[in-house]
Amino acid sequence: MPKEYRMSKVWKAVGKIFKWLFLGSMCVFTVYPVVYAVLGSLKSNAELTLGGNLLPKEWHFENYAYAFSKLDFGRYTWNSILLAILTVILSVVTASMGGYVLGRREFPGKKVISSVYLSSMFVSVGSVALYPLYKLLNRLGLTNHMLGLALLLTGGQVANVFMISGFVRSVPKELDDAATIDGAGIFRIYWQIIVPMIRPILGVVALFSFRTAWNEFITAQVFTMSNPGLKTLSVAVANLRYSANAAAEWHLMMAGASIALAPILAVYLLANKQFIAGITAGAVKG
Amino acid sequence: MKNSKELKKHLMRERVSYLMLLPNLVMFGVFTVYPILWALRYMLFDYKGYGEAVFVGADNFVRVFTRDPVFWAAVKNTFVYAGGKLILTIPIAFLLAVLVSKSGRANAVAQSIIFTPTIMSSAVMALIFYLIFNTYNGSVNRILMSLGLIKQNINWLGIQYAMVTVIIIAAWGGIGNYMVYFIAGLTGISEDLYESARIDGANNTQIMFRITLPLLAPILKMILMLALVISFMDMQSIMVLTEGGPMNRTNVMFLYIYQLFFPVTAGSAVPQEFGYGAAVSLVAAAIIGGVTLVYLFLARKLDKITE
Repeated sequence: MPKEYRMSKVWKAVGKIFKWLFLGSMCVFTVYPVVYAVLGSLKSNAELTLGGNLLPKEWHFENYAYAFSKLDFGRYTWNSILLAILTVILSVVTASMGGYVLGRREFPGKKVISSVYLSSMFVSVGSVALYPLYKLLNRLGLTNHMLGLALLLTGGQVANVFMISGFVRSVPKELDDAATIDGAGIFRIYWQIIVPMIRPILGVVALFSFRTAWNEFITAQVFTMSNPGLKTLSVAVANLRYSANAAAEWHLMMAGASIALAPILAVYLLANKQFIAGITAGAVKG
Repeated sequence: MKNSKELKKHLMRERVSYLMLLPNLVMFGVFTVYPILWALRYMLFDYKGYGEAVFVGADNFVRVFTRDPVFWAAVKNTFVYAGGKLILTIPIAFLLAVLVSKSGRANAVAQSIIFTPTIMSSAVMALIFYLIFNTYNGSVNRILMSLGLIKQNINWLGIQYAMVTVIIIAAWGGIGNYMVYFIAGLTGISEDLYESARIDGANNTQIMFRITLPLLAPILKMILMLALVISFMDMQSIMVLTEGGPMNRTNVMFLYIYQLFFPVTAGSAVPQEFGYGAAVSLVAAAIIGGVTLVYLFLARKLDKITE
């Protein structure tokens, strides 16, 4: 009996070792490209292309100075920030109002709108949408301003609207009724009762629209094709692959990539719980 | 008469509701509905972006089905890519979820780290991977060489291996995401069930196959469907990494459609075929819809067998 007991303890320890070996190697596999980029951005081009250690021999911080001054990364960073701010505001405002109205109010046409929204989730025409939308924004004069791209990235947001309306329904209706008796109108109920109650889910919408705005490449690439001054970091970094000296400038590619990754990694460091919780909230309800 | 009066009153009372829904409704109309209608109209036209659009009826569809081998190669690539990505991603993600779903500091840290790729730009990461998988100076070949696993540098983005590389990178980006979905499913299973199974003398394997998997089946089905549809639409990292090459080896459906509308690199010339592109994208949408239906049908069948 004691021997068997000891054996099972040994097996448990072995299992634990295997578990952490596997988890450890998955973590290394996950983090490696990021570490490679960040450390590579501080090497000279020769050192980066010849291999050597993961850590740089000499720390070349001037790669960043070069990226900002010569490759215009200051402007791209500002573009990305502006785009992110505009997209987050547009997404949160339009989706929360839409979600509130569809989740709470009763009015003629609501059923039709809900079912059209729902059925649109099953159609995906993909990149074909970019062309007519670009033409349309162009005709409206919005392709010269970041607002156009922010509108494009915000889009119909059907999934967000449904997610929010689900949360709105979980707010007790008595609160609305009490406010109505006190003379509050439809908008005031939204602003003073609903918004404070659904703040967590609005945070999730904000977080994910920030991620989209910061990371999106194809839409931003199409949008900025004829207006390179509006390029975002994702577009600028991906385009380094085609730049004239691409073969000779690995260190600058990595500096650019690190500039693009650092802000969202910082946000993730602060809000990783919300990101992880948010992705399941969106998947389960959407 | 009374009805319309009442309707009017209702409309008046809810006018603020309409106003509040309006911004979202307009954006839905413009950004979701309008492109679909546009595609439905131009699928019947020959339109190259200049001059008049010429009505050609169903000819665009005849061309898709009879005269466009590149598209069908892209469809095949899409299936290979999606299949490869799922086979690599789902089991690893599930295993990770089982390992880290219990609360605890170390588990939470591992979760956070493995989830990281989900928040990063796949275009930016594709550029980094482009260097890591480089034939002569990339670190993948260097590491494999120093471990003695290969004797010659492998051309990871060449004809032979490009698809494999693209799939590995897709798995890198997807594992954390699906792990979190699985964790959400696992934490939904009541701890009491495990407890009573253990009291009845069940071992870990029995618990996995008799309790965890059956109870997870509904959410598993949903996750698989989501993963399937999303991987059919992936193109961002492929576009940066290989541009669909070499020789269309990694050209997937949606990337092929993109190329009918826009040049992949700023300089390259493209035969722009907007009408034909609209037709192709509707065929692609139908293929994705068909795959989803087949999947749902098979999942249903499987349910009956296991019951």
